[in-house]
Amino acid sequence: MKSRTLGQEFVKGLWAENPVSRQLLGMCSTLAVTNAVINGLAMGLAVAFVLVSSSLLVSLIRKVIPNQVRIASYIVIIATFVTIADRFMAAYFPPLSKALGPYVPLIVVNCIILGRAEAFASRNSAGRSLIDALGMSLGYTIALVILSAVRELLGSGTLLGRQVIGAWFEPWVIMLLPPGAFLTLGILIATALFIEQKSRRRRPA
Amino acid sequence: MNLLLLLVSAILINNFVLHYFLGICPFLGVSKKIDAALSMGVSVTFVLTLTAVVTWVINHWLLIPYGMPYLQIVSFILVIASLVQLVEMFVRKTSPPLYQAMGIYLPLITVNCAIMGLALLASLKEYGFAETVVFGVGAGIGFTLAIVLMAAIRERLDLADVPGPLRGAPIALIVAGIMALAFLGFSGMIK
Amino acid sequence: MKLPARMVVVLCSVSLLAAAFLAGVNLLTRERIAFNKQKEIEAAISLVIPGTRSSRKAYEERGFSVYAGVDENGSLLGWAVESAASGFQDSIVFLVGADAGLGRIRRLYILDQKETPGLGAKITDEKTFLQFWEGKDMNLPLALRKPPAGKEELGPAEVNTITGATISSEAVLSGVTVSLEKLRKLRSEGKLNVEGGHEK
Repeated sequence: MKSRTLGQEFVKGLWAENPVSRQLLGMCSTLAVTNAVINGLAMGLAVAFVLVSSSLLVSLIRKVIPNQVRIASYIVIIATFVTIADRFMAAYFPPLSKALGPYVPLIVVNCIILGRAEAFASRNSAGRSLIDALGMSLGYTIALVILSAVRELLGSGTLLGRQVIGAWFEPWVIMLLPPGAFLTLGILIATALFIEQKSRRRRPA
Repeated sequence: MNLLLLLVSAILINNFVLHYFLGICPFLGVSKKIDAALSMGVSVTFVLTLTAVVTWVINHWLLIPYGMPYLQIVSFILVIASLVQLVEMFVRKTSPPLYQAMGIYLPLITVNCAIMGLALLASLKEYGFAETVVFGVGAGIGFTLAIVLMAAIRERLDLADVPGPLRGAPIALIVAGIMALAFLGFSGMIK
Repeated sequence: MKLPARMVVVLCSVSLLAAAFLAGVNLLTRERIAFNKQKEIEAAISLVIPGTRSSRKAYEERGFSVYAGVDENGSLLGWAVESAASGFQDSIVFLVGADAGLGRIRRLYILDQKETPGLGAKITDEKTFLQFWEGKDMNLPLALRKPPAGKEELGPAEVNTITGATISSEAVLSGVTVSLEKLRKLRSEGKLNVEGGHEK
């Protein structure tokens, strides 16, 4: 296993191992809540909370948990943090909670969280796991914000609820509906791959 | 609510994949060949129906009567993980050929959003027992329909000349978008 | 400690700790959550029965609730029915207010909907849809007017359809009609519970 600096641990989550555009994880939430930037942002923050908390905890107790029950334990830990996030949102941000609906509880099956716990936090120190989780969360949130910005802009002409495009623009309502979600994500991933291929061609491998 | 309408709604109008965005990972991952897709679809339908039954019982006989709805997320996911484990063991013991066909997909199903999504949605909509089971079966059939259709299209796409960056997930997502568009036509079927 | 025993102990401890933690979180948040829900429904009731100072639940069954709106003297101002109809995309949850004598509709408010933005979603819009419901005669069969007409041209039980969103409009119409029917029936059977209030 090559050793990375802490900085590299953080940055990899933003581009090279971006959970959405590269690892193709957590797509259920990505597609469902990106119809407005505020929703995408809220989901990103919720996932960040769960990812960072659970990675940290898993990393701290990794030596204590026997191998056979590790997945079950991770699941319980993740589910606990998801419940906390869900309850907190319902109590203090009711309109957001309503908009995100069942997709906040669904963070518990978001492959990113269990994936990081299993692949990284269970084998690395708490410090490294924290940095890894932060990087992945930021990468995830950025992807969500880009996706929702495109969908909100084209679908309602607004950004963060504020009218950005003038009244002459007839909004592409389809962007707010499931087909628009699929299409936008597909094009986003293709763009990321395209940029990656282009930069690889310029750099000698 | 009329059970038949609920079934049709779950399969076509509020298709789990194309409307609720649940089960995307296997939808994209296991949809390259029709028979693999069919196996996955059947396994998912089976687990969905079982999950519908067990989570309803736990929700309405344990969690709600004793005032613990906040334990839904934890208990549902543990139930699902255990169910999948049990199903896998059962299939491996009783029918090795069946295990060959669909056994490898079973562990993946635990983190399939569709299973957890079913449990959560049925709880949110406060469905009764029969409704939850019908909802589960319908969700499974809808998922199978979507994944088999996708596999049929992707088998053809394999022979087409797809540009580099679009190959794999992006073109699959675009196809899914067009499928979702088609399924939108089912909206408003039930009045 | 032998492995199987250790497995059980670890798993049980993790689960118990999680459950305890969540019980704590629940204690911290449940009041706030209940308060939010209460505030939402009370705000909606004040909208559909103007002048309401307080409300109480008069009847409840799955998917159907009736609230009584009273003013500061405790006199019954009207009834608000919360129910849902099957719309174009998903359920439309609405709150319709009726006056105390069940003669006229007070106002209509959409609590939750997932209709097509820009089309069916316009059922939440005051100008194109909701305003036409105010003051309609409850004892006549409600009907949709297509194409939409000016407010003065509408009959005593006619409401405007939203252009391009017939199904969403029809869903709301049938939902409201069924709910008001049921309200009338419950009232005549004396099943509406209004302790402490007296009719105007």
